[in-house]
Amino acid sequence: MSSDAAIRCRGLGKAYQLYARRTDQIKQMLFGSFHRFYLEYWVLRGVDLEMQRGESVGIIGRNGAGKTTLLRLLCGITQPTCGEIDVAGRIAPILALGAAFDWEMTGRQNVLIGSAVLGLRRSEILRRMPSIAEFAAIGPFIDQPVRLYSAGMRSRLAFAICAHAEADILIVDEALAVGDAAFRGKCLAFMESFRRRGTLIIVTHDMGQIKTLCDRVIWVDDGGIRASGGVAEVLRLYDDATEAEEDDGIRFCFDAAARAALSQAAANRRRTKWRSG
Amino acid sequence: MSGPFNRWDQAKASTRFPDGLDQTYDGLAKGGVAATGSRRRHVGQFRAGGRAIRRGRRALAPLSVGWRHRELILAVLRRELADRFSGSALGWVWAVVGPLITLAIYTMTLTKAMQLPAASAHGSTSSYALSTFVGLIVFGLFAELCCRAPLLMHEHAWFLKTSIFPSETLAWTAVLRALSYAGISFGVLLVFELALDGLPPLSILLLPFFLVPLVLFLLGMVWFLAAIGAFTRDISYLMITFVPLVMFATPVFYRVTDLPDALRVLAYANPLGTAIEIARAAMLDGVWPPTIACFGFLVLSLAVCRGGHAVFERYKGILVDVI
Repeated sequence: MSSDAAIRCRGLGKAYQLYARRTDQIKQMLFGSFHRFYLEYWVLRGVDLEMQRGESVGIIGRNGAGKTTLLRLLCGITQPTCGEIDVAGRIAPILALGAAFDWEMTGRQNVLIGSAVLGLRRSEILRRMPSIAEFAAIGPFIDQPVRLYSAGMRSRLAFAICAHAEADILIVDEALAVGDAAFRGKCLAFMESFRRRGTLIIVTHDMGQIKTLCDRVIWVDDGGIRASGGVAEVLRLYDDATEAEEDDGIRFCFDAAARAALSQAAANRRRTKWRSG
Repeated sequence: MSGPFNRWDQAKASTRFPDGLDQTYDGLAKGGVAATGSRRRHVGQFRAGGRAIRRGRRALAPLSVGWRHRELILAVLRRELADRFSGSALGWVWAVVGPLITLAIYTMTLTKAMQLPAASAHGSTSSYALSTFVGLIVFGLFAELCCRAPLLMHEHAWFLKTSIFPSETLAWTAVLRALSYAGISFGVLLVFELALDGLPPLSILLLPFFLVPLVLFLLGMVWFLAAIGAFTRDISYLMITFVPLVMFATPVFYRVTDLPDALRVLAYANPLGTAIEIARAAMLDGVWPPTIACFGFLVLSLAVCRGGHAVFERYKGILVDVI
């Protein structure tokens, strides 16, 4: 095992607890050791992965495959249900669009809090403030409450904060989807330069971005890693699968029996389609 | 933590990173309801040392949380105070006028409309007012945190769900915010004392020693209530009925000495009662507060702080999933 791993996961799994009633949650808390009051929905199961320092990895997969949960686990926002995660270094995540902004605060105040969350000192933040404002390029709106921002402006500010955090690991989850071409170009240039000093993890449905930025692709499917390896190879597999597989809701079922029944039905449907066609 | 990654830990320990977000989640999820996974994050931290060091570190965990995230705590605190004081036109004025009005009304009712308790009645109206003010300040701290703590996680749900915001710091921010309001009231109290009774007794210098266990107690309480409150909103409804009851069970409007002997023990068993009496002794009477009560208060505060933090840490992993 290399000693230069930035992230290492072993047997990682995350099950969300689904409660039928609100009171079940309290019962679980009080009497959890005697009886289980919830249904488990395994979003991720048995994930082993290792990312080297300086590597840039793209994560692809369908909606609900577990990509975002994987990122949330890596960031430490939620705890894994089983398995281990080792993270060496400071993470800057650009998760949902606009991320954790307080909508009543001005952009500048949000920069202060957002950067403090990422572990920066106040003096450092204040020193970088002009540069952050310049990167976000939202003009005088930086002194306006975030609730007045458009989605694109929020994502600009979020990216600007993370770009100035001097992180060792940068995690970008679909953050550029709402940015315009000019801003996207700026971000891509930043990520390109970041690749040389840190570990980059990108989640996106934009295969072009993956081709330009990543050394390696991990394909997450149905809560596990379906394929991992070189960009061209995995993307080809992924494209083939997208063409072959139906866009049904089977993967969202949390009952194993129901899931089996549904996929059986889907298989039957495919068979009849094939016969009639 | 010994394990297959030990060698790796040592390799990492020699790298220096700016501190701030460095965290060591040593088997933090251990014992959680459904969380048996572990998460470790180590950035430039030496983790050598024997069991004694580790145990010592665990005992200090509630405090080291505050120190490690001091920049973040101050940033959030600064913003909350700014919100309170610059959001309204007369921000600072309200903070001063609020406690003054409360004090005036309580003093008027209790000295004019109702019969004063025997021991309190010996003094003048002004000394009764001051003694009540001390009680109100300490109780106000408790009441604000009691009502706010169960909702603390819900209040910041968006932050906790979408960023790597360390939820354990919220208790610190809440306590510091409440302390700053109390600080304003304390300033008003000092002015009054100077005006009515002249210079306060020297024993007022002991006040910081009283403040430390009080802060520990409040921190533990907030951690505990925040963790439980995240699961159910009932706790916050419960607090609405609970807090006014505690107000009368606590010697806020009377002195412990007003009580019959049998009940005094009970009043001292109430940590708030002890806290208020210690504060009165130090600030107004200029006498040494009852030693046993002080010692008991300290021990209890440490236990509450440690216990509250342990409960919070235990459920921290799944808090984000339930709010």
